[in-house]
Amino acid sequence: MQGALSLLPAHWSREKRSAVAIAIAVALLVVFLWGMAIPLSWMPEPIGPAAEQFAEGARVTVQLTILAGLAGVALGVLAALAKLSKLPPLRWIANFYIWVIRGTPLLVQILFVFFAVPALIPGLQMSDFASACVALAFNVGAYNAEAIRAGILAVHKGQVEAARSLGLTPFMTFRDVVFPQAFRISLPPLVNNIVALLKDSSLAYSIGVVELTNIGNRLQASTFMPVHTLTTVAVIYLLLTTIMTQISGAIERQLDVERHP
Amino acid sequence: MSGHDMTGNQHQVRSDLPPLITAEKVNKHFGKFHVIRDVSTQFRQGEVAVIVGASGSGKSTFLRMLNRLETHDSGRIVIDGIELNEDMKHIDAVRREVGMVFQSFNLFPHLTVMNNITLAPRRLRGVTRAQAEEAARVLLAKVGLSDHAHKYPHQLSGGQQQRVAIARSLAMQPKVMLFDEPTSALDPEMIKEVLDVMKDLARSGMTMIVVTHEMGFAREVADRVIFFEKGQILAEAPPEEFFGSQKNDRIRAFLGQIKDGG
Repeated sequence: MQGALSLLPAHWSREKRSAVAIAIAVALLVVFLWGMAIPLSWMPEPIGPAAEQFAEGARVTVQLTILAGLAGVALGVLAALAKLSKLPPLRWIANFYIWVIRGTPLLVQILFVFFAVPALIPGLQMSDFASACVALAFNVGAYNAEAIRAGILAVHKGQVEAARSLGLTPFMTFRDVVFPQAFRISLPPLVNNIVALLKDSSLAYSIGVVELTNIGNRLQASTFMPVHTLTTVAVIYLLLTTIMTQISGAIERQLDVERHP
Repeated sequence: MSGHDMTGNQHQVRSDLPPLITAEKVNKHFGKFHVIRDVSTQFRQGEVAVIVGASGSGKSTFLRMLNRLETHDSGRIVIDGIELNEDMKHIDAVRREVGMVFQSFNLFPHLTVMNNITLAPRRLRGVTRAQAEEAARVLLAKVGLSDHAHKYPHQLSGGQQQRVAIARSLAMQPKVMLFDEPTSALDPEMIKEVLDVMKDLARSGMTMIVVTHEMGFAREVADRVIFFEKGQILAEAPPEEFFGSQKNDRIRAFLGQIKDGG
């Protein structure tokens, strides 16, 4: 599926092709999420009658992925900056965060946010969906931090020197010069993390979030037809990750000025 | 100042004004290596100074100290009345007045030529995008690249990239331009186009300090040639004296090597 871009007219500019590819892939995602119930409803028992549930579950899965993914990129940038900071306390906090998140299972993190956080901080009882979002965001944020840190370090030192010698402040240098280049370098691993996040969001079912895996599991338990229900779930995940990869590939092309003239 | 005749070339060197840049007994170490030893010199407004010397002689390090890309361990560097020290406000203020051109161009690869040039003025000089772009077009015409404003750096040749880098520095309207081996990374056929732009700049009265191996450039436009050796200024003289009747054996050997090398 990687080569879908090459189906677009070759005489279009790179920007135009990738912009059109992004638009097509996003439209495809929307059509898929809101339209899948129709073909699913044509299928025999036990899938047909539950078509609307599968579609709703897939939408919740994508919602979880997008919200946690965006928050996770922001957290990743902050943690990467803290890790590269000159101030030791910031480095300690970032290292501790990354160490804890990468060293513990995601399932434990999700359960912790939903059950343990309200016990520790009375009044901070979030819904199951919000808890899952927070846990997934912090989880993917720790992995993103490493990808973004590597991206920042890969930006040539001369870029910072040129920006600073023009008089740009450290903040402007980061925002206008370093970050856009670092983000481009970090994009492939970030995309991997987000595709992994889409799949990992299935663990949210453990705290009762009604997402795709939860739907499939409930249905297989009530119908005793695990092959049909779980195959349907797996195929929907597969289509979602494929569309995601297409969108991110197109974004990569859009941003990548240097390698694809 | 060593009392040389500073009116050697065709520029207006303003000996009547206080020096634009003063370096006093500047020292720097890289670990145990003493790269800059007690260097003192001054640069005047309108002067074109060319710094030469073998690689590792400290000439680039000294140049990079003048906008504090390198720190100095002791001594004083004063630029247009502002002393370079730990104070970030001083550093940022100085850097806005001192343009720098690098050996490796260091254009921003994710920005078009136009945005490379307008970024700093828009952020720091409080000009609108339209004003900045108008000024940039004038500069692009000056460096002979009017047709390339919309391109990205990777679409340009090395010589073109370096000319954009010069225009980018000039967009901040600096009082002095530093050049750190601006032609060393270029193919021979592109060196001339960059040197021509630099010569025009020198004739327009810009204060320039140039680290280079291009002796033709030094001969033609420099007011003063400074020879660095082991972190010290071994000699400084107007080009006709420096190249003509050089008595120092070490410098004669260096000049001979440069000629043989190309």
